[in-house]
Amino acid sequence: MSENRSPVLLCTCGDTLSLDYELLNKELSQYEGVKSVTVHGTVCQREGLEAIKHLVQENDGRLVIAACTSQKIQMRIDNFLKEEGVDSSQVQYVNIREHSAWVHDDVGDATEKSLAMIKGAVRLASLSEPFLDETKEIASHVTVVGGGIAGIESALSLSNLGYHVTLLEKEDELGGHVKHLPVVAPTGKSGKEVLSGRLESIDRDDNIEVHKNTTVRFFDGEMGNFTVHFVDTDGTEKDLETSGIVLANGFSEFKPTAMEEYRYGRNPDVLTQFELSCMLSDGELHRPSDDEPVKEIIMVQCVGSRSEDYKRDCSKLCCTFAIDNALEVLKRHPEARVRIVYMDIRVPFENEMIYKESREKGVDYIRGRVSRVWEENGETHVKVYDSLLDKYLEFAPDLLVLSSAILPAEGLNELSETLGFDIEDDGHVKELYGKLRRLETRRRGVIAVGGVTRPQFVFEAVTDAQAGALVIHNELQEGQIEKLARGAVLNVEDCVGCSLCAQQCPRGVPLMIEETENPEDEDEKLEFKAAIDTLNCHACGVCQSLCPSAATQLNFLTNEQLWAQIEGTLEGAGPDNPITLCFHCEECAVSTMDIVGTRKMKYPANTRFIPVPCAGRVSIIDILKGFEHGASTVMIASCETDRCHMGGTGNEIAQAQIDVARDILSAIGWKGERVDMFRMYSAEPDRFITAIQEMVKRAKELGPTPVHQGTAGKWMEVSR
Amino acid sequence: MTSPVLVIGAGVAGMTAAIELADSGVKVVLVDRLRTIGGNALDLYKAFPTDDCFYCFEGNRTRPGIRKCFYRSAMTDQPNIDLYTDTTVEEISGEAGEFHAKLAVGPRYVDPKKCILCGKCMEHSQAFEMLSPQCQPQAVVYNPSKAEDGDKKAEEECPTEAINLNAEASEETVKVSDIIIATGYHEMKPVNVEEYGYGTHPNIVTQLELAKMLDPNGESAGTLLRPSDGEPVKRMMMVQCVGSRDERYYPYCSKICCVFALKHAVIATKERENIKVSVVYMDIRTYDRHEQYYREAREDGVEFVRGRVTRIEPRNDGSLDVIVYDSLLDKYLKSNIDLFVLSSALEPPEGASDLMSQLGLKSASGFVAPVDLVAENEVVVGKRIYACGTALGPAEVPESVNQARAVVSKILQSRK
Repeated sequence: MSENRSPVLLCTCGDTLSLDYELLNKELSQYEGVKSVTVHGTVCQREGLEAIKHLVQENDGRLVIAACTSQKIQMRIDNFLKEEGVDSSQVQYVNIREHSAWVHDDVGDATEKSLAMIKGAVRLASLSEPFLDETKEIASHVTVVGGGIAGIESALSLSNLGYHVTLLEKEDELGGHVKHLPVVAPTGKSGKEVLSGRLESIDRDDNIEVHKNTTVRFFDGEMGNFTVHFVDTDGTEKDLETSGIVLANGFSEFKPTAMEEYRYGRNPDVLTQFELSCMLSDGELHRPSDDEPVKEIIMVQCVGSRSEDYKRDCSKLCCTFAIDNALEVLKRHPEARVRIVYMDIRVPFENEMIYKESREKGVDYIRGRVSRVWEENGETHVKVYDSLLDKYLEFAPDLLVLSSAILPAEGLNELSETLGFDIEDDGHVKELYGKLRRLETRRRGVIAVGGVTRPQFVFEAVTDAQAGALVIHNELQEGQIEKLARGAVLNVEDCVGCSLCAQQCPRGVPLMIEETENPEDEDEKLEFKAAIDTLNCHACGVCQSLCPSAATQLNFLTNEQLWAQIEGTLEGAGPDNPITLCFHCEECAVSTMDIVGTRKMKYPANTRFIPVPCAGRVSIIDILKGFEHGASTVMIASCETDRCHMGGTGNEIAQAQIDVARDILSAIGWKGERVDMFRMYSAEPDRFITAIQEMVKRAKELGPTPVHQGTAGKWMEVSR
Repeated sequence: MTSPVLVIGAGVAGMTAAIELADSGVKVVLVDRLRTIGGNALDLYKAFPTDDCFYCFEGNRTRPGIRKCFYRSAMTDQPNIDLYTDTTVEEISGEAGEFHAKLAVGPRYVDPKKCILCGKCMEHSQAFEMLSPQCQPQAVVYNPSKAEDGDKKAEEECPTEAINLNAEASEETVKVSDIIIATGYHEMKPVNVEEYGYGTHPNIVTQLELAKMLDPNGESAGTLLRPSDGEPVKRMMMVQCVGSRDERYYPYCSKICCVFALKHAVIATKERENIKVSVVYMDIRTYDRHEQYYREAREDGVEFVRGRVTRIEPRNDGSLDVIVYDSLLDKYLKSNIDLFVLSSALEPPEGASDLMSQLGLKSASGFVAPVDLVAENEVVVGKRIYACGTALGPAEVPESVNQARAVVSKILQSRK
C-alpha cells in the first residue's frame, strides 16, 4: 500500500518548550513519511493559523501538528480552516507540551518521546482519507408516547419548533395524573387549571395528531427512521413512520395490597394518597365504607418508599402531596383533624413554607411508624409508635391515607426490548448520563421526560419536556441533517452476522437486517447482516474492537492506521529502552493527562501515548501489536467505572479486552501483568501518575519480552 | 439580523444556555462577574449524582454528542459567543425584544485569546496567576494588587503580546433581544448565626470550604487537616439547616445541603483514613435516588443525631466541645471534635434583587420566580426574560442543565 507523505508543523509555544527542536527537525526530515518540517513559534495565533492553512492546502489536506493539547487548539484551527474553506478532517495532532515537554525534566528524553509520538502520527496520517459533510433528509416527525403533562408539553414544544407530532395516549382522555390533583404545588391551583390552556393549544394545533385509547406494541428502525406499531382507538393495528421518540409514559402509584399491616384493599377506608386526591378533586370527602363525613384522617408517609422490600429510594413528591391534601381537607372542613406519621418530612425549597403553614393550621405530625391497623366495631384502629415521645399512641380515624411509593409506568420493560433503551434498577428509564444528559437514553433518537424517568413535580416535568424538545431538535435538525461523516463504516461483504456490534454499541446504532439473495425462495437460509448509519454513529470504535471480521471500522482510525501508528510510536523500543505504551481515551483520560501537564507534575519519559476516541476502541490485537513492535508493557487509560462518556460501556469493553489479553499473555508465558487498565478523571490527576509509574515499574521488573529476546512465536516451556 | 441574547452568569446553567444557543446559530453575549467562568461548580470537587468530578461540561455540536472536561470548552473560540469576564451588568433599559444592557467591563490586562499559558509571565511576577488548571478561558489573569517590578518584563517577553498593563476598565452597551438570568447562588456565610461560632474559630467551616479541603488538587492534597494547626482531623461533626428552615434567616429548605453533606461524609469515612463523622439534623432530605447517599453513609458508620447543637466550647488543644440536644433520646450529649462543618443555606447572590427590581421580576424568597404560576413554566420569568439554574432557587447540576435547555427551547420556539 502506497503511503502518503505529510508535512509536520512543530510549535515551540513561544520558544518556551524545553525540547531539542534541531534534533526533531533533523530526524523528522529524514523520516520516510515526512514531506517537510516547519518550526513555528505559536501555531494558535493568526500567523500560525495562516501557516497551517498553507501547509494543508499544499499537501492535499494532510498535516501533522505537534503542539499543545489538541483539546485546546483543535477547535480554533477547525473554525479558522472552515472559514477559509479548507478541509481540516485530515489534520493530526500530537501533544508535545502537556504530554511531554512539561512533564519530563530531561530535554533529551522528552525530545525522544516527542519524536516517537510524532512519527506515530505521521504513519497514521499517511493512511488518512478526507471526510466530507453529508446531508440526509428525514421526516420532521416525532412520536410522543403518553399524554400526561410531560407528553402534552413535549408535543406543544416540538410543534413550536416545527415538527409534526403524533401523541399516543392509552386512556380516553389526556392529562394523566395531573388532571386528578386538587392542588398542584407550588401554585395552589388545581390540576385541571394547569392543564386547560395546554389542552386548548393542542386542540388548535394542526401539527399535533392525538390518538387516545391506544396501546403501543413495539418499535423497529433507528433514529430518523423508526416505525411505531400500535393498536389505535378503533382496535386496528397501525404502523407509524417517525424520526424520533419521546417517552412520556409517566408514573404509577404503588398499590400496597401486599403490605398487609396497612389493610389496604381489605378495609375500604384505607386509601392511597392519590385516591384521596381523586376524591377531593371529584367531589366530597366521605368514608367509602358508609359515605359518612370524615372528621379524622391519619396519613402515613413512605409506604413502600425507603424500604428494602419495595422501593429503596425516596419518592420525593409524597410529603408535598400529603401536605397539599391535608391543607385542602382543612380548607373544606376546618374542624377536621389530620395527623401525618412520618420518618423525615422532605419538602424542597419553598414547599417548606407550606409545611409550616400546615403546622400552624393544626396538622399534627408524629415522627414514627404505624405498628398495627385493625377493624373493631366498624371502626378503623391505628396504633402508632412515636419515636420522639418513645410511646405507642392509638387512634380511630375515619380515613387512613397511605402516601404510597411512586413507581415507573407499567409496560416499560416490554417497550425497551424493541426500542433498546436501558432500565434503571428502580424500573424507571435509565438516563444516558446523570449529570448532563438526563433526558437521553442509551438509544439515539429516543428521549424520556417526566415521571417515567423519576418522581417529578409538575413544573419539573414541564421543564423536562421543554428541554427534551431541544435535545430532539438538536438530533433531527428539522429533518435536514448536515454532518461530517466521521464514524464507523460497515463493509457488509465482510460482515459475518455475529451481532456483537448491535449488542454492545453504547448507543444502539447498528441494526441487524435480514438478508436473502432470493426473496422468492422460501427454502433459502435466512441471513442477518449488520447495518450502520455513519451519521447516527458516536464514533467510539467499540464495534470495531469487537468485530471478528474487521467489517466495521472507524473511518478516521482504521485497523491499518492504528497499527501503523503503533509501529511508528514504538520505534526504538527494546530491551535496553523498555517502553510503556499507553492507549488513552480522548475523554477523561486525556483530560487527566492534560491537567497533569498543566500542573507540571512529573513522571518517567519512557512512555508513549496513543489517543483513541474511547478506550473501547482498543482490541486485543491492538494490544498485542504493541508488544510485537517492542513495548514492554501496555496500558489503557479510560474514564471511571460507569462513567464512560460514550454511554457508560466503552470502558467495560476495554476491560474485557484487557482481561483476555492478560490471559493470553499468561497462557503463552509472556507474563499477563504486562497489560493493565486504569480508570481516572481530571479532578484526581494523581491517578494517572500512579498508573503510569506502576506500568513503567513493571516494564523494568518484568524485563525483556520474548519479542526483545527473539523467542516470540517459538514453542517454549511454561512454568506454572 | 436578530439581536443577540444576553446571558448573565457563566456557571453551569449560563454556559449550557450559551452553548446551546450558539450551536443553534443564535448570537450570545455571555457575562460573568469573575475572571474565570464556571461558577460554584469549579470548587465542588466531586459531583452528585454521578460521583465523578465536577469539571464535566456538555460539548457543543462541533464536537458531537459527548461531554468534555471544563478546560476544553473553548469558550473564547465559540463562533457565536461574545464572552465578557470580570464584567457586571450595570443597568438594563428598553423593552422585550430590544433591551439595552450597560456592561462595566474590567481592565483586559491579558487577552484570553492570545494567552497560550506558556507560563513565562508567572516566572517574572506573582501578579500573574493561573486561577485553576481548569480555568476557562484558558488564560492567566493579572492581579494589580500584587503588582511588582517583574510585571514590565513579563509584558515585554510575552511571546504573543497578550499582556497590556495599561489596560483600563470600560463601559459598553449591548442591544439584546432576550435575557437569561443565570446568576446562581451564594453559600451564606453564617457569621450572624451566633450559636455556631462561624468566624470565631478556624476549625468551624462551611460545606463549600470543606469541599475545597477534600479536593486532591487543594493545599493539603485532599487530606483533611485542622485549619488551626494542620493536625489530622479524626472527628468531624456536620450540622444541617444552618440558616435554612429558620425564620431568622431563610424560611425555605435549601434542598441540596443534605446530599452535599452526606456526599462529603461518605468521602471522609470511605476515602480518607480514620475519620469519624456525625451529622446533626432535623430531617434528612435525600430526595429521590439521593437516598443512596443516606443508606451508604449509615452503612459506612456515619452517626446521625436528630436534634440541634446548643453549645460549642473551644479547648486549648484546638479541638471543640459540642453539646447537642438529641430529640429522640431527649438528652443532651457532649462530644469532642476536630472540625465543625456548617451546612449553610444557599442564598441569592449579591445584586440579584437589584437586577430583579430593574426588570420587574417576581421573587421567590429572593430568588427569581416564574412570571405565570399557573402555567408551571418555571424558566419563564418575564416577557422575553428567562432564568435557569440556582437563580431560580436551590438546584442540582442536572436540574440546572435541564432548565438551561428548556430556556433555549423556549427562545428557539419564540423565534420560529
